[in-house]
Amino acid sequence: MSATGFTGIVVIVLFVGLMIFFTIISKDRKSANFRPISGYKKISEEINVAVEDGSQLHISLGRGGISGPDAAAGLAGLSLLKQVIEKSSMCDYPPVASTGNPVLSILAQDTIRGTSKAISVAEKHTNPYGELVGVTPFSYAVGTLTTIRDDNVSANVYTGWFGNEVIWLTTAGERQSSPTIAGTAQLPAQAIMYASASDPLIGEELYAGGAYLGGGKMHLASISAQDVIRWIIIFIIMGSVLLNLIGINTFIEDILAGSL
Amino acid sequence: MNIKLNAPVSTAIAIGVGIIVLAGYFIPSIESIRFIFLRTGLVLAAVALLVGIINLISVHLKKIGGENENSGYSLILLISLLVTLVIGIIDMVQNYLFGQPNFQMTNWVFTNIQLPIETSLLAVTAVSLIYAAASILRKKMDLFSIIFFFVLLLILLGSFSIPPSTIPFLSVIRVWILRVPALGGARGLLLGVALGTITTGIRILMGTDRPYGG
Repeated sequence: MSATGFTGIVVIVLFVGLMIFFTIISKDRKSANFRPISGYKKISEEINVAVEDGSQLHISLGRGGISGPDAAAGLAGLSLLKQVIEKSSMCDYPPVASTGNPVLSILAQDTIRGTSKAISVAEKHTNPYGELVGVTPFSYAVGTLTTIRDDNVSANVYTGWFGNEVIWLTTAGERQSSPTIAGTAQLPAQAIMYASASDPLIGEELYAGGAYLGGGKMHLASISAQDVIRWIIIFIIMGSVLLNLIGINTFIEDILAGSL
Repeated sequence: MNIKLNAPVSTAIAIGVGIIVLAGYFIPSIESIRFIFLRTGLVLAAVALLVGIINLISVHLKKIGGENENSGYSLILLISLLVTLVIGIIDMVQNYLFGQPNFQMTNWVFTNIQLPIETSLLAVTAVSLIYAAASILRKKMDLFSIIFFFVLLLILLGSFSIPPSTIPFLSVIRVWILRVPALGGARGLLLGVALGTITTGIRILMGTDRPYGG
């Protein structure tokens, strides 16, 4: 096994251990103390608005698949979709989902159907929309515009893998005067979302939807585990800088290359 | 007694396959099994495209039937889809049965319809991006938005390549911004994304998140 492979296993085992540890020691959601993220606060508010005025949320899951670097963003979007459906069970209309990837579209339909069934939403209100809008970036963006412009849509949530075409979606939401909560894993699109969305989700905030919208203990534990690993990374970076300053500048590289 | 086995079985299969594929990255001896699963996944993804198109057709047929103000667009979409499909089938028949040159009509559709439309949309995207950057201070007048706007302005001014408008000092600032704070920030964001990606993957492998109806 290469040094990189060994490092990978260590990181995963560390994550799993930390997540299990934090799940065991956490007592309840109320004791969890996380920094507020405006995007998730806005989603909760918009669910309440949808319950009151009979409107619905639009969740756009992007055009990432499930087999590449874009997979986690799409899966995080599906997790958020599930949480939103559970929280909006009192709504007249369940959230509508749109995707630009066929696999994600099937998973979205399955999530909507499965979650609605689990929370006993009446069959007639189950709207299995996990619409595949288009498979190229622009066909996806243009196709999604009709859903955004639907008068019954009160807010738009974009979570998944997007490119520069996301500007079409965010500005369309702005023109409809509906709140736009947007997060992606792609850096250029993050910059666009920061400039154009009313509530952008930056960096890892995209993956924290479950923890902030009422997911289980494991969601909360995963946030705590991320924080611990982040501190470890900070110490490694600072340690590398110090080692570099005192002249031992290939220490970390040697460990990763397995030459020590 | 009504026992539903679908959810536990699908969950067990998903977790099992996920663990084997993950382990295949680190343990060379099971790499071949990983490739078998990945290839199977790719074939299933191709079938999913077909299912997705059927879903697209059914959704837009419903929109045409209802009192939807966008039903005209749905009709155009379905007609375009049908025409492109027929052209593709004719091309395939001509190619495989009569040995005519490769997919001429399909290529014509892509070169003369799809490509110009997507190029125009790209041009509109550029305008939309400038509009979004210009309007950021109107929407969010906070410290970070001000920094965002002025850094963007500096980068744009430093990027001019026409000789009379080239400002050497700004060019140096632009290079420094791109190489130091922008690169550092991008790495920080990528680290956060990587951490989020790992936890999302682990939650799915542990069965806490089940995006497959389990």
